[in-house]
Amino acid sequence: MASAQIRAPARTGWLSKERHREALAGYLFILPTFLGYTTFVVGPILAAIGISLTEYDMLSPARFIGLDNYLAMLSDPRLRTVYINTIFFTVTAVTLNVGIGLILAVLINRRLPAALKYIFRTTYFFPVLVALTYCAIIWQFLFQKDTGVFNYYLSFLGVEPVPWLNNRQWVLPSIIFMDVWKNTGFAMLVFLAGLQNIPSDYYEAAQIDGASPFRLFRHITLPLISPTFFFNMVIFMIGALQVFDSIVVLTQGGPGDASRSLVMYIYEKAFQSFDMGYASAVAITLFVMIMALTLVQFRLGRSWVHYE
Amino acid sequence: MATSSQVGTKRAVERRAASLTLDRALDFLATVALGLGAIFMAMPFVWMFATSLRPMNESFKLPPAWLPTEWHWENYAAVFQSSVPFLAFGLNSVKVTFFVTLGQLITCSMAGFAFARLRFPGRDLLFIVLLASLMVPGQVTIIPVFIIMRHLGLVDSHWALILPGLTSAFGVFLLRQFFLTMPQDLLDAARIDGAGPWKSFWRVALPLAGPSLAALTIITFNNTWNAYFGPLIFLNSWDKMTLPLGITALRGYLGSGSPAVVMAAVTMTVAPVLLVFLLAQRWFIEGITQSGIKG
Repeated sequence: MASAQIRAPARTGWLSKERHREALAGYLFILPTFLGYTTFVVGPILAAIGISLTEYDMLSPARFIGLDNYLAMLSDPRLRTVYINTIFFTVTAVTLNVGIGLILAVLINRRLPAALKYIFRTTYFFPVLVALTYCAIIWQFLFQKDTGVFNYYLSFLGVEPVPWLNNRQWVLPSIIFMDVWKNTGFAMLVFLAGLQNIPSDYYEAAQIDGASPFRLFRHITLPLISPTFFFNMVIFMIGALQVFDSIVVLTQGGPGDASRSLVMYIYEKAFQSFDMGYASAVAITLFVMIMALTLVQFRLGRSWVHYE
Repeated sequence: MATSSQVGTKRAVERRAASLTLDRALDFLATVALGLGAIFMAMPFVWMFATSLRPMNESFKLPPAWLPTEWHWENYAAVFQSSVPFLAFGLNSVKVTFFVTLGQLITCSMAGFAFARLRFPGRDLLFIVLLASLMVPGQVTIIPVFIIMRHLGLVDSHWALILPGLTSAFGVFLLRQFFLTMPQDLLDAARIDGAGPWKSFWRVALPLAGPSLAALTIITFNNTWNAYFGPLIFLNSWDKMTLPLGITALRGYLGSGSPAVVMAAVTMTVAPVLLVFLLAQRWFIEGITQSGIKG
């Protein structure tokens, strides 16, 4: 009796044996993830900040140079070019991917036969799963000026052969064109899931009141899928700012630097010029930009995203 | 009175009929637009397959052949006879993808369970730190990771790709979300039966997590299988390369760069993806929308 009374309060206290065991298990369960993250993510971020303050070519020891790398960025004309390219790519590709994805989802969500829905969904989504490098290899042939499929069919419309990948003006739009073909299916799929969560009686009620399809879209569909819209914007923006694979395969950044992206420039500086300090500094600016834009989107999101 | 309400009803009926006709017309237009778009979406893959079966010297012939009329399967054999170790690329990709996916299934389900269902000091803070790391682009960490791998002598080894891939913040997040929705009664019942944390995880929670584990498998598999940036940085020797890196870097050596042979190689790597997708489409779609919508 007496011993039971003594044991009872101990069992509910924080330091009870069971709680101890549970906490210990908790730490053991997260240990592999914790080790992986400190070694390959948290540690390297701190190291990258440190390296960005040095001159380091991996052969001789790193030399501390303060903010010189960051100052050098201000007077690097190539950096300005790759920044402008990356921002142009991001704004255009995000708008088109998310916009076209939304249109596709709304069309597929209409009352179509189930088999057709399945075929459309599969066809539009499939390129998302194929490695970007393979897509770029295929599209490189399609884009050829004299032997490519696009120019062949355009010639019937009286269009002169377009130098898709060899012309400063055309090269980024061409890469964006392929990017939308490759990725818009992802936005579509996310929108479809969002659309299917809208209860159909909302539409029925509005239709009985005689609302036009366009009003239905504007006043029911858009507000109710705004969280999905927001998710797509953030995901596509983060992805687009890191564009690399497709451009490496299609143009290797050319002609000149006309299609070089920020990540390609980081890669070139780090692994071809072995200027690890400068490359790290540029990478840090990319990190800061992604974080800032994500936070801005979350802030702005509060005013237009409608959660039910 | 009666007539005016009848007129009103009649007008409403007419309006509904008109809106139904408009609706039908829009359904039809949607089908046509989607159909034309779908043809365009499929076109590059159709061209890839048709070109892979053309005679090598006719790869550039116009008009393009959309349906193969001749079946030059020797282009596929040429992929294996070329100096490019295509088969080794495939095995390397299988090896890296297998270890990364298996590793993530283990580490992410354990950490996801702990963050959702076990109480320990500092749990929520650690979880927030982990979530914040989702925003870190891989290009920021790649330089220090490269230096680590160089010190460990793991550059040009598959371990340089496998070790950093063994866990993922995204996977932990996905599994945590699932374990949070699991009924607490089940865990309470297990505890009353004397099950410790490990047993509740292994015997009660994990068997219920099938769909989430399938989603994580598919997403991790696809990301690793298609990865290009990491392999480009860490792998140099031909026989160590994975498929996307090998095919991209060495396509000039495939059948002396003949598009027909390059397309045969690409077709062989894309076909399994298409097959798996058609068989497991439900899991793919659930995995991707689950991570997106509920996230």
